[in-house]
Amino acid sequence: MTGRYLYILPILISLPVMAQETVIPAEQLDDVVVTATGTPHTLKNVPVQTEIISRKQIEQLGAASFEDILSQLSAGFDFNAGDMGSQMTLNGLGNNYILIMIDGKRLNGDNGGENDLGRIDPHNIDHIEIVKGAGSALYGSDAMAGVINIITRRHDDQALYLENTTRGGSYLDLRQHNSIGFSIGKFTSLTTFQLQHTDGWQNTSEEDPAQTEFHIYDSRNKTVNMYTNGQLSQRITYTPSDRLSLTVDGYLYRKRIFRPTNGRYPSCDVNTFDMKYRDAGASIGTEYKLNGTDRITFDASWDRHAYYYHYTATTLEDGYDPNGKFTHYYPYFEGQEHLQSDQQRTMAELKGIFSLPAANLLSAGAEYRYDYLNAPMRVKDGKANDWTAALYLQDEFTGLDWLNVTAGIRFIENKAFGFHATPKVSAMLKAGEFRLRTGWSKGFKSPTPKEQGYHYLRTMGATTFLYLGNTDLKAQTSDYLSAGMEFSHGGFSASVTGYRNVLDNMITIVNLPTSQIPEGTAEYMGDGSAEIIPRMYMNMEDARTSGIDVSLTWRINSEFTVGGSYSWLDTKAHVYDSKHERLKEVTIDGMANHKGNVYGTWQHRYNDAYRLGLGLYGRASSTRYYQNNGNGKPYQIWKLTTTHDIGRSNKGLVWRVEAGIDNILDYKETTPHGLHYGTTTSGRTFYCTLSVKFSKGKKMNTKDIERKDVGDDD
Amino acid sequence: MKKFKVILAAIIAAASLSFVSCDKEKEETLDNYTRYQRAVDSQIQNDKKNDKVILLVAFGSTWQQAFDAFDATKAAYKKAFPGYDVYVSYSSAICINRAAAGEHKAEGAEVRNYYAPNFWLHGFGAAQYKEIVVQSLQVIPGEEFTRVINYIKDFANNSLGDIDDKYLSTVTIKLGLPLLAAEEDVTTVATTLNSIYSAKAAEGVVAFMGHGNPDSYDTYKANVRYNELEEELQKFSPNYFVGTVDAPDNYKVQVLERMQEAGITEGKVYLHPLMSIAGDHAHNDMGGDDDAWEEGKGYEENEEGEVEDTSWKCYFKNNGYDCNDNTVIMKGLLEVEQIRNIWVEHTKDAETLEDYYHSMYPED
Repeated sequence: MTGRYLYILPILISLPVMAQETVIPAEQLDDVVVTATGTPHTLKNVPVQTEIISRKQIEQLGAASFEDILSQLSAGFDFNAGDMGSQMTLNGLGNNYILIMIDGKRLNGDNGGENDLGRIDPHNIDHIEIVKGAGSALYGSDAMAGVINIITRRHDDQALYLENTTRGGSYLDLRQHNSIGFSIGKFTSLTTFQLQHTDGWQNTSEEDPAQTEFHIYDSRNKTVNMYTNGQLSQRITYTPSDRLSLTVDGYLYRKRIFRPTNGRYPSCDVNTFDMKYRDAGASIGTEYKLNGTDRITFDASWDRHAYYYHYTATTLEDGYDPNGKFTHYYPYFEGQEHLQSDQQRTMAELKGIFSLPAANLLSAGAEYRYDYLNAPMRVKDGKANDWTAALYLQDEFTGLDWLNVTAGIRFIENKAFGFHATPKVSAMLKAGEFRLRTGWSKGFKSPTPKEQGYHYLRTMGATTFLYLGNTDLKAQTSDYLSAGMEFSHGGFSASVTGYRNVLDNMITIVNLPTSQIPEGTAEYMGDGSAEIIPRMYMNMEDARTSGIDVSLTWRINSEFTVGGSYSWLDTKAHVYDSKHERLKEVTIDGMANHKGNVYGTWQHRYNDAYRLGLGLYGRASSTRYYQNNGNGKPYQIWKLTTTHDIGRSNKGLVWRVEAGIDNILDYKETTPHGLHYGTTTSGRTFYCTLSVKFSKGKKMNTKDIERKDVGDDD
Repeated sequence: MKKFKVILAAIIAAASLSFVSCDKEKEETLDNYTRYQRAVDSQIQNDKKNDKVILLVAFGSTWQQAFDAFDATKAAYKKAFPGYDVYVSYSSAICINRAAAGEHKAEGAEVRNYYAPNFWLHGFGAAQYKEIVVQSLQVIPGEEFTRVINYIKDFANNSLGDIDDKYLSTVTIKLGLPLLAAEEDVTTVATTLNSIYSAKAAEGVVAFMGHGNPDSYDTYKANVRYNELEEELQKFSPNYFVGTVDAPDNYKVQVLERMQEAGITEGKVYLHPLMSIAGDHAHNDMGGDDDAWEEGKGYEENEEGEVEDTSWKCYFKNNGYDCNDNTVIMKGLLEVEQIRNIWVEHTKDAETLEDYYHSMYPED
């Protein structure tokens, strides 16, 4: 495989320019974004700094995953290795504080604060909108560090649309995306199926000698574990008139994370279970357009994220013996599953956008959210719940050509913490090709049902801990201030944004004196002989992040584009130190002061039936800091991609081949297991994607033309 | 053709899977707890060679050195008690899980099944052993020892209700006490340790690191044994010290204070675990490497007066002593033959538990 690509690439690169590109590339600044205000704006004139990653960029990048896309194209993101997959950070703050949405609907379910990003199919993304900073006025809980809105592809304008995209890469990395879309009368239907698999890899078989009894050189622990996931989704839209549309969505998702079962050393590389997720969701939505701008929408949804242990060897767990007595020795056998947690969420939202006199645009909405947790061995009586009712208002004033002012507030009533209000205000000044943006916003995160309801014993070493939820928890909050400037002229645009985010009331688990064990916990006290240390969730920690993000894009001509982004970050946090039972000042784990990426792409259409695209991408990070177990090493990684479009879309059948080399310089960290990594890349890998698309009976309307990325042949 | 082969393989796989699942269905009609217990029962029945059995109960560990120590102890017991079957039990679920899994299992090597005491005891009952001796491998009669007693109680009271009640009323159950159960044990252990380490005590400090009952609950007030042991050892040499990981007022910080009070401010410090095996605590808390010592700032004590984020080795080294990998004696007490023999003596002296049996059916 290696040899073949290396042979072909120079030939492709040296091909003479045979014809000029006939399609005019779209200016990205004309792309329409909706995430910052909930109302459509062109990227150039959106009042709150928004980053967009387009379908075109994603295709040229040939990314295997959502993580690949973000880490390669946006400097603020980073990913840490975790047993259950990668853990995301945005400008230093974790997934816990980032709201991820798919088509405006929040991704449900987490494991230790991490969403499962496998739900996001990289081949089904139309574009990604990223709004950094607190966004709770508009989106409610979790939007403390930023909001990522993944807009999926729609094929409503085609009578029939069929697609199969298969991507294969090193380490048996397989990605399948399949779509079947059709329109009959006022109905459109889109069915998609995606599959993701990797065998995972092992950068080193060495264990950190400081954490093992002797130096282990033949560990079976992997740097990235094998996993397989699959998702089936269905969307049906009914459009009885130009004004009214009704959408019904549903999905089923499964994932299994495989851990090595052939470990040699029970102290470090032996596992007795894998992790499994079973997710599902359904939603209905309707939109009624009152006029060109005004509309009313209603959405209701239900989602489930169920997390299981799948045992690969006999495993004793906490449970109840046949007498109903609590035991640490309830056995599960190979092949059996045990539900750890089932997080279900039901939401309903009514929202309207109304033009008001004097150039004001009002957004108003009401939202109800009910969270339900079923965690048989973790929560008292196995179940916990939480609800939030919210009202929000936002006004955009656009009365002056040179000024846009947006202000909003959300009022929340929550089962646990009661009333809370979270405001935002932002302003954008237009001066010729310059845009000056500044904003202040607050974010919050509701205590989760787990943090409120946990109630279980866990033995670690010789000590037994009693984990206790806390129904008196307050919301975690963030206070975000930013100011930035953007300049754009022709194909050139540059922006610089400075920010400061202050997080408070962050929830952590804190040791309590034994005397504070609440009454009614006797059944969790075991046989009374063992000492039990109670640990309770409390609003204890705080953090501050500040940084500067810089971004540049230059479309040199219709074929060449270069760009890059850079992020400087500084963090300080007061985290609870359970050994000394007090707060200590630290930098946030995983933080790198400097991160950046660059890219250059070139696309050329040789004739009606063939277009070539080349891309070179680089990304780099300085040292990533950790409190314990070493720092992550600084790194730089380069990627070369090629794309080959074969056939014109108006012919119905289009072929596309993508091939490339990731991590050309074969950089990888071989830091022993148990220590931190800067990046978990496996070294040089190769990939090839074949995509076949068939569309028939294309029907275009004016809206589609406005919004379409014209350079895209889809 | 290739495709056909794949399909064929899939059909065969599916068919064989359905056969497997038939067998599995039979198994799964039992609840997991009973199924597991029956597997333990039948293993014991298959392996039963004698009418008498000894169960050695430890907290457990996943370290190779600990496995080896338990293997050697089991062999020593078999030699010392020829008419007995001998088994080792862990009380830590995670240690049990991991010790039994992994590659050595696939390679067909001996599976390390250190079942929890309740499963072993039930199995002994099912196999109708006439005499059951439970030997605690704990050092002090503290928190973990109470659990051993509770397992015996549950067994004797037929807690699952499926052991022959008549058998239970006749079986002899004996309990072997921890290493430092009685005060005279302290003298024996001190004398034995001194006989081994007197040469080292002549060169410098020999500090033993025990576990201890944890911070707030000194079960049976057993922590006093560490003070008593130090006192006894110091009758041989003022260079002996005994501290713990967990017992309040007897952390390494207090050991250092006692050393300084005794005028020992420099020189060699030998470290030795006072635990049955050299596992996590011995390797990390005693002999581990860390960077908690900050030049100019020193160590920071917690509210209980302990420096938690450093090992004994680093702590003494940074406090001006000659303490390094060469002065760390990484041996669990079960690996010290003369000490292991004291446990063996305890087993020989194991007391028969009278009046343990309470019928589930008193009216019969």
